[in-house]
Amino acid sequence: MDLYKALKISGTSLNTQRTVMNIISTNVANAQTTRTEEGGPYRRKIAVLGPAEAPADFSRIFAGRMEMGLEGVEVKEIVADLSDLVAQYDPQHPDADERGYVTLPNVNILEEMVQLMSAARNYEASVTAFNSAKNMILKALEIGR
Amino acid sequence: MNPIYGLNPTGDRRSSMEPVGRREEAAGFKESLAQTVREIDGLQKEANQAIETMAAGEPKDVHEVMIAMEKAGISLRLMVQVRNKIITAYEEIMRLQV
Repeated sequence: MDLYKALKISGTSLNTQRTVMNIISTNVANAQTTRTEEGGPYRRKIAVLGPAEAPADFSRIFAGRMEMGLEGVEVKEIVADLSDLVAQYDPQHPDADERGYVTLPNVNILEEMVQLMSAARNYEASVTAFNSAKNMILKALEIGR
Repeated sequence: MNPIYGLNPTGDRRSSMEPVGRREEAAGFKESLAQTVREIDGLQKEANQAIETMAAGEPKDVHEVMIAMEKAGISLRLMVQVRNKIITAYEEIMRLQV
């Protein structure tokens, strides 16, 4: 059994939560972006998380026969939120259409704040899990003392 | 022969486990000890590398550096314990009256 497997799994969780935080920051920063490269306004991005897959090489199969399903988490893909965009009446805006409406991104700041707190708590929980796993390992070193 | 088993993960796992079992018995204590020392050295180098990349300003997450340092620290303590056990065993043997 790999001694550092638990530490590595917590490490993947920390990486993933950092990526989620970056996505949330991008959403918040682009909450008013009406002009993107694809033409329309910015669409809110969502991270899709899934279990990380280990490379199935020989040493992994041998060492981790029972633990092959446990590899941690990773961001599988970043998709755009397909919910409705917000239309706001503002004829002075340079991106207003012929009726005077501007389509704004579907970013709800309050919801992003909640996601942000959730990501931060997940990060802290992963750090706690990492410390607990490390303490277990160090305790094991005290066997026979 | 071993890489051939590795290339076919969907093959018969049972048959791929046996030859490794025999190989594991053959590896002696000295070999596993040398292996441990190599791994610890590798982890120390990895921790150094992580600290250097972060000091140079390259985008490396703080938690990755911390994890690398913790792993190196744990393996060092493991090495110290192994050394203690070996020395205790040695002294025990030397105490035997001839």
